[in-house]
Order: sequence, then structure tokens, then C-alpha cells
Amino acid sequence: MKTLTLSAALIAVLALPVQADDFILAPAKPDKLVVVNADKMAIEKVIELGPENGPMPYVPVVAPGGKLAYVTVNKSETILKVDLISGETLGRIDMSTPTERVKGLFGLALSPDGKVLASFQSPVKLEPSHFEVQPTRIALYDAETLEPTLTFPAPRQVTLVMFSRDGSKIYAMGRAMHVFDAATGQQIDEYPMHSWQAETYLQPDILDVWSQHESSGVMVTPFYTARKDMELTNPEAFRTGMLTLDLDSGEMAMREVRIMDVFYFSTAASPDKTRAYGAYNVLESFDLVNNTALKRVSLPHSYYSVNVSTDGKTVWLGGAASDLAAYDAETLERKGSVELPGGASMSLASVRLFTRDE
Amino acid sequence: MKHLIPANHKARAFVEAEAEGRADEVRAMNSLVGCTTSFDPGWEIDAFGALSNLCQPMEADLYGCADPCWWPAQVPDTMGTYPNWSDSAPDVVRDWRNLQSVFPETKG
Repeated sequence: MKTLTLSAALIAVLALPVQADDFILAPAKPDKLVVVNADKMAIEKVIELGPENGPMPYVPVVAPGGKLAYVTVNKSETILKVDLISGETLGRIDMSTPTERVKGLFGLALSPDGKVLASFQSPVKLEPSHFEVQPTRIALYDAETLEPTLTFPAPRQVTLVMFSRDGSKIYAMGRAMHVFDAATGQQIDEYPMHSWQAETYLQPDILDVWSQHESSGVMVTPFYTARKDMELTNPEAFRTGMLTLDLDSGEMAMREVRIMDVFYFSTAASPDKTRAYGAYNVLESFDLVNNTALKRVSLPHSYYSVNVSTDGKTVWLGGAASDLAAYDAETLERKGSVELPGGASMSLASVRLFTRDE
Repeated sequence: MKHLIPANHKARAFVEAEAEGRADEVRAMNSLVGCTTSFDPGWEIDAFGALSNLCQPMEADLYGCADPCWWPAQVPDTMGTYPNWSDSAPDVVRDWRNLQSVFPETKG
């Protein structure tokens, strides 16, 4: 009976899904992609994309499986397809032509099945005597062949581009949340952001350029506003809020979380979608259920980006300087850090957390 | 505008155009891409009138300002005009002294 019980236990253990390690993909000056095993807090691979792809790889996105990535390079005019295991560049999309300069500054997303790449693009026609600003757009590419498949107009000032988790919609965050049909490019919805509770609050100030929603499926961004029912000479009139977009349900929500006294450059949500973590000169945790601030600690220097581990226990900070720092998600105590090779700066790049199939 | 004095070619063009009712032709694009688009305070003083919400140390923020052409008046923009400005200082906190001033070529 004992043997049988042990065998049953062993089978049960073997039947459990293997928890894949968390990895981080950190772009660094001038042309590096650094793959970090987050669980081991160790650099696994440093990929140099070549001097022609500087001065900074900006927005990477990792394909399902964790072995391929796409990244904007070359002054944000080119997208590279990179093998994260071999370090080899597998292909490139040069968005600019001799007569049109195209920047794909922040918005880059990959469909959940890894088949479609979406890029928000700002074109400028280069005429002999003048430059002519062209309408902004979202371009879709076949992620395998890198051939363009569809281009459709999108409003100016979009920063983040995200696919819904079922792949059917593309969200583009600008001055509103624009929702597109991923198959046709037709705009199917628009969620207002600037007019949120306009009877109570001044127009929210929202800016987010960091794509970092992988472990939760929730895009969360801080916003700043002030209450209309208070004198603006009163510091307590100014409020910090959190905007969340659930990429599973499509639900977008905005709520006040505290009196504004510091800034957070960006935020990320926990996998269970109940917490948010904001970072810049402080790291702070927020309760997204009760809409309150929980805990705040000072940071040794500014960090731009935040990621939360897939088990929800570790908050990873990055960006600005050259270290990835791990903090306990509950206590906000510093657990360790990984210094990028040569102290290379991460600048304003998105730092992405992913898991890898072994 | 009476308290502002144009300091460069673009600013002079703007003042002239405004007087001629053509301000929209030279107004900075209301866009996050294209340089000289960000006029909000943030380099010298933070939104609270203090310094603690500026980047710390300020060197850590240099490339965040240069690479996306965010503060092209304060730091050279590496996305358009000066792509090699940061070549000698990938570790900006340690090597910021290698970053040099730039001197735009005279146009016209």
C-alpha cells in the first residue's frame, strides 16, 4: 500500500505542469539584447545586433515559446527578427524608404499565436524642398515572412499597441483607447480617457511608453489629475489614478488611488490582477480591488520600467540605468539585482518578461 | 508672446508666421514623434516645483531624453539628427563626461 501511495504521489507530481523559468529581455545601449534568467538572476545571453542597428534597441516583443523576438532598432525605423538562442538576426523590416521616413517609436505588438506583428508608424514624406507629415497608421506583418499584410489608419499620439488575448482585437492607447478589429483594421470601439468623470476631475494626464503586461494580461498605467471640488492651491486636490485594460475581458477602468505626491513612470499588474506596482524614484504597491496605495519604498536611482514575475512574488525594475532589480512583491524588500554587461544603459526601452518552453 | 524672444531659426519663423496668420504651418506637430514636441516642464524643475521628482541621478535619464527625441533642446536627439552622440558612453552613469556638445550646421 505504501509503495502504491508513493507511486501515486510520484505520478501526481510528474503530472503537474512544469513551472517554466521566467526570463527577461532587456535592450541595452547601443545595440544589445540581454537575455536574463530571472529565476537564477543570471545573464544567459548577450546579443549584439550590429552597429548599424543602434543607437538603441527600443521595443522588443517575445514570441510564444520564448525563443524568438522582434525589436525596433535603427532609430526606430527598422524591426528585426532575432533568434534569442543563437543570437542570429533572421530578418528585418525596414519601414523607411528613400522618399518616406517612417518611425515606429513605441507601439509594437505580437498576436498571441505569434503570427501577426503590429507596428504603430509615423511616416514623413521627404520631398526635395520640404518634409510632409503623413497620417499615422498601424501596419500588420506576417511574423514568419515579415511581409506586410494590412495597413490601416490610426490616430496620432498612440504609444502602446496591444493585442487582446484572443487575438481578435488590437488596442492602441493614445488620447483615448482605440480598439481595432485585428483582421480588418476597422476601428470598432473607442474608450474615452481624457473625459473620465469630467464632472469631478480635471483632464487626466496620461503617458505610457512601456509595454510590460505579459505576466498579468493587464495593461496598467498611472495617471494624474486634480479634483474640481477643491482649490488647486491645496496640494491634496491633486490625485494619482490607475488606468487598467484587461486584455482578456477588454474591460477598461480608471480609478483614483491616492493623493499625488510623487510620480511613477510606469506600472505593472500582478498575475492575479489584484495589485499594481509603480516605479520611478520610489517603488509603490497598490490594491486594485480596493483602489488604495499599500506600501512605498525608496529606490537607489530612477527606474522606468516594471515587470511582475509569473508567480507574482517578484517585482522586476529596469530601464534608465543598467541594472535589473528584484523586489519582493509583498514586502518591497530588495532581493537582488543583475547588472547588464558594461553597465550599458537601458534608456527608455521596454523591458519584457517572458517564459521559455524547454 | 510679449515675454518670449525667439532664440533660433524655428522660433523666428514661428513669430513671423504668427504675424502673417500662418502659425499652423510652423507650429510643432502635436505628436510624440518628430522632435521639439514636448514643452512640459521636467528638466530643470519637477511638477511640484522641486527636484525630488526629477530623475536620479540625472545621468540615468540622459538617454531616455535623447533616444526618443524627447528633449531635443536639452540633449542631442539620437533618433534623428545625432545618432552617434552616445557612442562613447554606453554606460552613461560612469562615462557621461564623454558626451559632447553638438553644434548644428548653419542652414540657409
